Amino acid sequence: MKTCCYIERFATHDALTADPKKLVPDPMLRRRMSRVVKMGVLTALECLQGERIDAIVTATGFGCLADSEKFLRNLLERDEELLTPTPFIQSTFNTIGAQVAFLCGCRGSNTTFTHRGRSFESALLEASMLLAEGSARRVLVGAADERTPSQHRVMERMGLWRGREDGEGATFLLLSRVPSSESRACLTAIDFPDEPLDKEQIAVRYVADRVLCDDYALTGCYPTASARTLVHGIEALGGSVRRVAVCNSYLDNRPSIIVVACP
Amino acid sequence: MRIAVVGIGIISAAGMGIAQTLESLRAGRSGIVPEPSHLATRHRLPVGEVARSNAELSEALGVTGTNSRTALLGMTAAAEALADAGGSRSNTALVSATSVGGMDLTECFFEEFGADDRRGRLRLAAHHDCADSTLAIARYCGVDGFTTTLSTACSSAANALMTAVRLLRHGIADRVIAGGADALCRFTLNGFRSLQILDPAPCRPFDALRAGLNLGEGAAYLVLERADEATKMPYCCLAGFANANDAYHQTASSPEGEGDYLAMRWALERAGVMPEEVDYVNAHGTGTPNNDLAEGIALRRLFGERMPLFSSTKAITGHTLAAAGAVEAVFAALMLRHGEIYPNLRFAKPDSRTKLCPVTRYRRQPLCNVLSNSFGFGGNCASLLFTRAE
Repeated sequence: MKTCCYIERFATHDALTADPKKLVPDPMLRRRMSRVVKMGVLTALECLQGERIDAIVTATGFGCLADSEKFLRNLLERDEELLTPTPFIQSTFNTIGAQVAFLCGCRGSNTTFTHRGRSFESALLEASMLLAEGSARRVLVGAADERTPSQHRVMERMGLWRGREDGEGATFLLLSRVPSSESRACLTAIDFPDEPLDKEQIAVRYVADRVLCDDYALTGCYPTASARTLVHGIEALGGSVRRVAVCNSYLDNRPSIIVVACP
Repeated sequence: MRIAVVGIGIISAAGMGIAQTLESLRAGRSGIVPEPSHLATRHRLPVGEVARSNAELSEALGVTGTNSRTALLGMTAAAEALADAGGSRSNTALVSATSVGGMDLTECFFEEFGADDRRGRLRLAAHHDCADSTLAIARYCGVDGFTTTLSTACSSAANALMTAVRLLRHGIADRVIAGGADALCRFTLNGFRSLQILDPAPCRPFDALRAGLNLGEGAAYLVLERADEATKMPYCCLAGFANANDAYHQTASSPEGEGDYLAMRWALERAGVMPEEVDYVNAHGTGTPNNDLAEGIALRRLFGERMPLFSSTKAITGHTLAAAGAVEAVFAALMLRHGEIYPNLRFAKPDSRTKLCPVTRYRRQPLCNVLSNSFGFGGNCASLLFTRAE
């Protein structure tokens, strides 16, 4: 499907520069955040730079795994008695989006998609529809997934790490309905082809000068790694590279394609 | 562009399928049982449990193999909705909401894995993520279009319906099956218990002495199409909706019910409906002291003294979490189609701060505009406005 909105800027957890204490001044709040929540919230706030937004759309393949596991283990070990609610509260899939809304006072639409390898693409599609229909002028969209020892172990036993590097990360992008002098890229399409495509086929179908497929050596393998790959794609724009297609086939599933072009 | 509801399907403590559900709603028969019989928990708490085992659900569906209870409930309701809409249509999308996904199976997996990470049947762990139940529903119903899963706690299914409308308006799908499914599991029962918001007795939404919610389970799906291309006489139209954030606290509602108020107000604005044109509100009304007060205050802010008729049907179904928005959207569709209102059970005395009295008996009443609220953790507030089909 064709889209037309602009990526004003982005932030990735692996390249955060701001001081977490400045982004989230309340030490209690910082301490309560699990790893994935902290990763997501800090990355979102760095991307936001205090700017007002109309909506927040987040994505996560697995959600708040560490907190879910903590509550589950306590429940089983303590035979369903004397449980503290904090990990349960924080295990909700929309925790990151909610915390960001709370910290930046955004009362607008706030949605979380969690659809395995298509979580981020779903969020991006929702964000682009919000912008296209005029429900929002600026939308913060992003993704976060954490690696936990149990999840690593289960997926290892399933044989999913053969030839893949396990990973985690958080990436947020600020989207705008209209371009500005700061715009980094134009988001021109999000697509879910019915059949697997090789790089050449993708380049032809989406008229792309460069095609970036999952590179788990670079991002590590996690359900929302394509958000990080998209940032690589945006950074690749310029010179003769006018249009980049990012292809995500998480765990060898049917591909999703995101196309960005020079603004 | 008007969006029509052309098919509905449901399974909850109120019954299996539309016909049985309608019977319970009209009779004001509560599906809350004193304690769960299918859920393996030590807690003897009232719940809105679906009166079928996983084996019975699987058999009725004709499926074999391991499926989470969420997936089984979801397949049951989505298949009914699709059949009600007259069968399949090409370019159909699925937007499904869930908050527990396959947690029931993960709990079993962890009983062994927790002690020794070489143990635990992987088959049980494979259904953990939220996408699993959605994909099972998509396969079962032969969905050929865009498929995704949404999870914003207790407002999830209402938000799934909003995304469905967008997919239709943007021409990404010609038909969308949207709704949600959540099964009872130890994780959520203990989670809400640890928050001390479960009523040890059957819940009493909006009553002055209300003491918490009863957890429920179920699934409900609606089939949406662009009204001018609708393949069937619609139940109603989904004319307005809004998702607003309270931006106040992770679990509690703000004292002035700001998010609740904004969601309702924006939903009306989007539909071009004035507050005095609303005939009935299906409240979120969980029965917790905090929710019902904040929602009551928001209702008073929006409607003042001209409060429309309202009720919370959670006294019948329990709180079905991510499915609730769709369960109650199905109720809204039935109310508009049949011109009737389903009661808020066990209400005796109004809260002195809001003085709100819900409809406590089934009544016949022609309706034009019905508002349906779903509010969730993370301050996520969703409101849907359904209008009569003509």
